[in-house]
Amino acid sequence: MKVALLSNINADPINRYLNGCKDIEIYEPQGYGNELGVLLNRDSSLYDFAPDMVFIITDLMELIGRDLEITAAGKKIDEWFALFESSLSEGTVFYVSDAFVHGFEVDLVWERSVITAVENKWDENLYALANKYSNVRVFGLNRIIRLYGESNAFSRKMWYMGKILYSAVLQKALAEEIIHRTEIEIRQPKKALLLDLDNTLWRGLAGENDISPVILSEDGVGLAYKNFQRGIKLLKSQGVILGIVSKNNEDDAISIIENHPHMVLRLEDFATYRINWENKAENIVSISKELNIGLDSIVFIDDNKAEQALIREALSQVYVPDFPVNPEELSSFIAEIYRQCFEKPIVTDEDKNKTKQYRENQTRKQLMKASVDFAGYLDNLEMRMIRVNPEKHKERLLQLVNKTNQFNLTTRRLTEQELANILRDNNSEVFLYRVLDRFGDNGIVAAAMVEYRNEAVITEFTMSCRVMGRKIEDAVIDDIEKYSASRGYGELVGIYIPTEKNKPVKDLYSSLGYKKREVCDDGTFEFVISLKDDLVRDIHVERTTEV
Amino acid sequence: MREKMIGLIEKTLNLAHGVINEDTKIEEVPGWDSLAHVLIIGAIESDLGISIPLDEAVDIASVGELFEKAGV
Repeated sequence: MKVALLSNINADPINRYLNGCKDIEIYEPQGYGNELGVLLNRDSSLYDFAPDMVFIITDLMELIGRDLEITAAGKKIDEWFALFESSLSEGTVFYVSDAFVHGFEVDLVWERSVITAVENKWDENLYALANKYSNVRVFGLNRIIRLYGESNAFSRKMWYMGKILYSAVLQKALAEEIIHRTEIEIRQPKKALLLDLDNTLWRGLAGENDISPVILSEDGVGLAYKNFQRGIKLLKSQGVILGIVSKNNEDDAISIIENHPHMVLRLEDFATYRINWENKAENIVSISKELNIGLDSIVFIDDNKAEQALIREALSQVYVPDFPVNPEELSSFIAEIYRQCFEKPIVTDEDKNKTKQYRENQTRKQLMKASVDFAGYLDNLEMRMIRVNPEKHKERLLQLVNKTNQFNLTTRRLTEQELANILRDNNSEVFLYRVLDRFGDNGIVAAAMVEYRNEAVITEFTMSCRVMGRKIEDAVIDDIEKYSASRGYGELVGIYIPTEKNKPVKDLYSSLGYKKREVCDDGTFEFVISLKDDLVRDIHVERTTEV
Repeated sequence: MREKMIGLIEKTLNLAHGVINEDTKIEEVPGWDSLAHVLIIGAIESDLGISIPLDEAVDIASVGELFEKAGV
């Protein structure tokens, strides 16, 4: 990429930064302050160089001869643009800096409107030209100066010594912005942003009001998430296709999206969604097929490190950024994602209507399932499951039993007294597990209770949704089966009592090879499996017992 | 501080460590042109917080002189 930087001030330091940058060949200007002359003269060294992109950084104060009187200044600005327009040539991209009036004079002018009048005059001309010619673009000088602050962006001493207006930090920032612009000129921007819901679009868990209610509001943490949504909505308005990939009960999630007063993004903002309990990698592949976009055009945002790892592992073409630790970083995070992945040299009207088009094209056919190496992913998580002593963790045990809604097979709630009785009862066994993985300690996240009377019955089985979808449940059941067999039982019974919330686990026992034995009048399902055959389970977690 | 300043000069001029010392004369260093000089004065101010007055900054012939005017 051949790049030329022209300026009415000494921009050589920026050229020095750019020199030696890979993929960039930089034009060596002869002096400064003659940017229009160089552009207008077809015999100038600039045309010998034949740049692909020309960047013009203009100090407005110098251009207007440091006279802020709007009539005189306006005339100079108009003249500049008239000459610039006549110098334009096809096949070259021109970036022109937007307005920032800087100088000691600014502090001596009483009326702010005097300054803004000059700035507006420049920007009006610039945007008119950018709308007229597709190869004329706006270089966001103003944004960069504001970002660093005026007091850090300029150096008066360097100005006096060598007409170098900007401080070292700003020169570097401007050079980086130029590099960024050359990159987005070449790169293929991403097309779709797929989003998780819980603790991503809002704080809290949909459908788990007792444990972690959904927080989204006009102040505090809720506002941070709301602003994150506002940022995403801005991306949509620039042509980014939005989608949801989330593990939730669809009804719970949709109800929040449609009815929560502080949701900025509503269902109509999303081109498509997969709200279910299936593997997210498969869901993403299915969306890519539905929308007919490549996996390399997809960005996936999820707060959960394990889900991030799954997608990076299984679908390496999908870009999965790290999610910010603190909610106050969310709005700058989305701005960064925009620049990094989606920003385009120009945004067309067609871009702005993209989601609508995709919604209209949405196919309802059964989509093929992706073949994703799930086992490899699970092994990679390096999960460890430690069976812990329930006597030592009664509070957490009660919480798991009484507060979990989704992964809860029977949703029986227990009092402290009832729990104490169960722990004392020799005909009952409580299974409680802590789960760790390579990302850290997930805490005590799974509990089961089994009654051993004339038959062995799993009366409770509950798990935190944090670790769902990782085959932890298989390992827990395997543990219970082995223990039950060792107590001499030839069969094990599992119970499923359907509720509004626990649909995710309705097929748990049948998926593990249990046969449905009975459907009771109250809607309770009983499943049974023989322990006499050697059951071989697909376990991806290392198991130990706490001493 | 002198070490730091020498490091900063070498960094600004893209020179290997050890090229610049207290006795170095500016005109002998390839690349230490007037623009580079401005950048060095700017870097000393922004990175090290040492402000060499304009009058003195334009008129420096050696690294030793630079130290003297910077008061280090």
